[in-house]
Amino acid sequence: MDAEQEQIALDKVVRSHVYDYVMREGLLPTIAETSSALARSSDEIRVSFQRLADGHIIVLQKGGEILMANPFSAVPTAFLVKARGRSYYGNCIWDAMGIPAMLKQDATIEASCGCCSTAMNLTITNGSLEEAHGIAHFAIPAAHWWDDIVFN
Amino acid sequence: MLLFWSEEHSEKWCKDWNLSRGEVIPLDKCCRLAQAWYTPDRREPEWRRRTVDEAQALFTELGFTSEFWRLPR
Repeated sequence: MDAEQEQIALDKVVRSHVYDYVMREGLLPTIAETSSALARSSDEIRVSFQRLADGHIIVLQKGGEILMANPFSAVPTAFLVKARGRSYYGNCIWDAMGIPAMLKQDATIEASCGCCSTAMNLTITNGSLEEAHGIAHFAIPAAHWWDDIVFN
Repeated sequence: MLLFWSEEHSEKWCKDWNLSRGEVIPLDKCCRLAQAWYTPDRREPEWRRRTVDEAQALFTELGFTSEFWRLPR
């Protein structure tokens, strides 16, 4: 296996671990945790995280830790998703609705109006949204989503 | 992509942020998009990002057909 193939193989293992960890724990793994779990050096994991970020698979914080592994957020947001006894944060309403799809579980989303902060709780059962008040607003056209994915 | 109590609330938010009005999507349609987008298991080694053509085809299939949903090539 050449160096490029080794990188690709490592990135697959790292991606798999990131998603397995967050789905299981409700938290995104750190570089240190991933390094320990996969028995690879911190530098190898840091560089792998960067390659995954370059490929728009994850988004990093300035220090190199994960900020987003869509649909999951590493930091609290206005989209708290509760499923199978755990809590998760979605990056936006699309991502919050995607978390039960990833988990293959029913879920409740504790969110609020982006304008006035009125509480808006949603329930997803068997992949469908139960009747709910409200709308989703996509501010940025699809062609520009990755111009500033954090704002988006 | 935010949640709003009503279209009027989203318009006020756009005004407050000095942004053009984007696309207002019914919540059930947004949920169908989220379910379709995130159902593939990202833990699987074989998982990969959709190509632009694949993503565009999914948008079209789900009724997201306006210029707003046109992905860059």
